[in-house]
Amino acid sequence: MVLTRVKAILWLHTLRLWRYRWSFLNLVLAEAAWVFLFVLGALLFVPGEYLGLAVKSAFWTIVAWTIISQCSSLIGAWMNFFISIGMVEEHILRGISPFKVILGRVVTSFSVILVSLLFISAILNGVFKTNVWAINDPYLLTLSFIALALQGLAYGITIAAISVKTSIPHNMLEIVNFAVIGLLMIPLDRIPGLFAIPFLCVPYVASAHLAKIGASGAQPYMLLEALNISLLETLVMLTIAIYVIKKSEEWIKKNGVRAIGFF
Amino acid sequence: MSLKTLIKSGFMLEIYFYKNNRAAFLAMFLWPYLMLALILGMGYFFGSPGAFKQNVQMDVDPVIYYVASTLVAMSALDVMWGVGGNIMWYRWSGTLPYILLSPNRTSTTLIFSYIPRYLLGAFIQLAEFMPLIIIIEGFSSGLMKIGVLVLAITVGMIPLLGFSALFASFLITIEEETNVLSWLNPLILLFSGAFYPAYLLPYWARFISQILPTTYTVELARVAAIIGAPKLAPITFFIGILLGIALVYNFLAYLFMGYGEKKAMERGAI
Repeated sequence: MVLTRVKAILWLHTLRLWRYRWSFLNLVLAEAAWVFLFVLGALLFVPGEYLGLAVKSAFWTIVAWTIISQCSSLIGAWMNFFISIGMVEEHILRGISPFKVILGRVVTSFSVILVSLLFISAILNGVFKTNVWAINDPYLLTLSFIALALQGLAYGITIAAISVKTSIPHNMLEIVNFAVIGLLMIPLDRIPGLFAIPFLCVPYVASAHLAKIGASGAQPYMLLEALNISLLETLVMLTIAIYVIKKSEEWIKKNGVRAIGFF
Repeated sequence: MSLKTLIKSGFMLEIYFYKNNRAAFLAMFLWPYLMLALILGMGYFFGSPGAFKQNVQMDVDPVIYYVASTLVAMSALDVMWGVGGNIMWYRWSGTLPYILLSPNRTSTTLIFSYIPRYLLGAFIQLAEFMPLIIIIEGFSSGLMKIGVLVLAITVGMIPLLGFSALFASFLITIEEETNVLSWLNPLILLFSGAFYPAYLLPYWARFISQILPTTYTVELARVAAIIGAPKLAPITFFIGILLGIALVYNFLAYLFMGYGEKKAMERGAI
């Protein structure tokens, strides 16, 4: 029964992805165009001889940011649509958690992430004559992206759960995403020693630091600390997400959906 | 319905939008600085202002350069969404038939109800950047540069209105539900040299840049970034070009919007 439900949810999102294939391509193109626009602007500050290194560094920061922002916006913000078409009550009546259906949006978000990044890397490799895929430690990089994806999912699903009780403006979500990219760019070795550990404890920062080491082969500064904090943070964020989902489901059953979600 | 009524309705719509969407109003203040901080932050982390001046081949202040770019980019996006994108919004919300059947032509309704909203939004954003410009440039020089930016966002709007109305007519005609504008807008900004100078783009891209009104608006705004007092010759040159292409785009928009409206009414494509 559980497997049938999981299959149904995954089938729903795969089918939607196919039906909205033009919107999907549209989103990929828009994502790539915006990233390219900003990267070009930032690279104006880089001397010609360091361009290859800077492009690679910028690309992997963007990969980390894309995983976080797409997980939170494509999953979290979909709650608005789900509430608007009355699907929350519909699923509760049939004994299926609406949040499990929302979680199925990983199909959409990971498809967008994968295709956008392939497209962006092809543009950057072509324009700047570099190879952004030449990575130092693929295992560490994969591990860091799994942690980032899980943290992004936990964040997306937590705000989706909160949004059935309170109203969260959609553009505030995007502003948080914008602030995150700023944090991801700061190199850990520029933070004074006393603040390095608290800085690593900010969500996503430790995992992004691991990604930087894995991608560019930078000096493995505070590697063990970052690894432990990243693992712990992922567990904490997932626990919070599960707790908030449970509380929100209880709240919906007693009070009904506020029908606001994101706006 | 007079044009005055359309302008007044646009103004009231914006005021009530701000009043009822306080979070969106607050976000409007944060966006320009976030965009500016992202580019400058990335730029300063990966490089230096010296390399920037060398790459753009001009003696400019990077902060004012990107203030001008951000302001024009935000205003241009606002016009393109406000006029071009609104057609889709009206279609989705079911109000497009009312717009098409209203006494004025659709292009007139779209443009004139939008102008006050644009001016309000653009001047609020400029006011946000004013303290930063004055801190960097000093009071008198800062005021002159703000004057150049005021010219850019007001004169630059005129051809862009026609350009966006052309998109609106295109969207009516093709009955397209997919949001074409969401990927077209960053491309337009890219070819206009919004964050990366158009003259550094490849030859084929520069050709596209030359037919986009936003290219000249960006160039006019960037006169403010050049170190020293802004010179009158490039300002009048860009204003002349902008007014010239405003005539062309607005005339084309007037012709094609009528065609789009007629097609939409014939086929019930609303």
